[in-house]
Amino acid sequence: MKYGFFPGCNMPAIRPDVEKAIRLSMPRLGVELEEMEGYVCCPAYGTFHSSDEEATLAVSGWNLSIAEQKGLDVLVECGSCYSSLRMGKSLLEDHERKSRVDELLKKAEKKYEGKATVRHMIEVLYRDVGVEKIKQEVKRPLEGVSAVIQYPCHTVYPSDIVGFDPRGGKPYMLGELVEALGAKVEHFSCEYQCCGGAGGFHRNSAIEAAAFAKRKLDAIKAETGAKLIVVSCITCLMFLDSVQKELNSGGGSYSIPVFDYNQILSLCMGFPAEQVAAIATTPRDEIVKLF
Amino acid sequence: MINLAELKQDLYKEVTEHNDIRYCFNCSTCISGCPASEANPPLLIRNLVRKVLLGQEDALLDDDSPWACVTCSKCEEMCPMGVKPFELCLAIRRWQCRNDETRIPQSLPELFERGYTQPVEKAQALRASVGLGELSLVVHDPELLKRFQAMLKETKIVKENSYMFKE
Ligand code: SF4
Ligand code: SF4
Repeated sequence: MKYGFFPGCNMPAIRPDVEKAIRLSMPRLGVELEEMEGYVCCPAYGTFHSSDEEATLAVSGWNLSIAEQKGLDVLVECGSCYSSLRMGKSLLEDHERKSRVDELLKKAEKKYEGKATVRHMIEVLYRDVGVEKIKQEVKRPLEGVSAVIQYPCHTVYPSDIVGFDPRGGKPYMLGELVEALGAKVEHFSCEYQCCGGAGGFHRNSAIEAAAFAKRKLDAIKAETGAKLIVVSCITCLMFLDSVQKELNSGGGSYSIPVFDYNQILSLCMGFPAEQVAAIATTPRDEIVKLF
Repeated sequence: MINLAELKQDLYKEVTEHNDIRYCFNCSTCISGCPASEANPPLLIRNLVRKVLLGQEDALLDDDSPWACVTCSKCEEMCPMGVKPFELCLAIRRWQCRNDETRIPQSLPELFERGYTQPVEKAQALRASVGLGELSLVVHDPELLKRFQAMLKETKIVKENSYMFKE
């Protein structure tokens, strides 16, 4: 199994410990990661998608062509990157748009044929690697620890473009992946609510966006005994982590550690926390010390 | 009150490039699951559909609410009429940018200059602290960066606002 690894820009710039966790844990599971040399911003929804469609698709084409040249599919952890690249690929199926983008890509001496598929980390772990393989590689299970899941909205909606769950309905794959580590996954009333951290919501309405996340955090506290939140999206990770401090400065009391799946997986595999879970706003010591 | 004389009937054709929003029947499903409907001012996507269909050009140009969208696409999934509210939200932003250059996101020139919105190339110390080396970035390869910029210079947004984009 080999993929072109698309790190995006938040992960390598702000949360490189997640990147390290991915680079350590995936090869253990038999997944080889190839560099996508010269990849650029996905483009993020707030950039070209919001200003010019042909520029959006040119940038999508640029990125997809890198994996295509290598004969590989693209592996992405960030929900926004995943959704943007899937959306780009889907729009490029339209002949008219594609021929315009072909012209633009020619200026860059690149060629796009639509051969590479964009895959999210959750799906690759669940389908291509499988729960059994993950169980075999767990050295220090999270036995008896309760967790809740943040399912990244960008991997769920719109299902015809980003979805990977043939059962449809509520997502479950990340939950089963966490159970493979020995943890107990608890359910709660706001489980499928989006984190609220992407796009302009928090930027334009910080108080309202924090209140939106508070509803979820309150439900976790009231309805579960969760000791951690597991996500698989850099935006969910950064927002659910930092919003707790924001709420605490307004008199709240929130201290639920947030982990990307590959981080907690790497800890269960025995990799050092200083490398794979080094950066957080909400302290993670209670979980890290279990390893 | 809406002044009928000030309405632009074909506005929806200008705004939505590809799909037909006239199927919208005002059910508000798109609002009920929308995180940004809790923003201040709220993003009420159904109202935006009305604005576009009615042709309220000035009001639409001044409307900041599309920029609060978290891009979760829940509305896209739930709309029973295939209106694609999320795509409309992006289409309104694009239309605003076409008609008012101050709407153009500041991240665009950054993306043009270095390929990313985050300064990935400046994170080397942090990356090294967790045992990571440098990525093979477009900013590290002047020839490649030139090709990237040559491509973008052919797009409308960069052509028409070239003063914003520095090589
Ligand atoms: S869900 Fe669709 S049909 Fe209903 S109000 Fe929104 S855009 Fe219109
Ligand atoms: S995509 Fe935007 S408009 Fe649609 S539900 Fe999500 S935040 Fe609201």
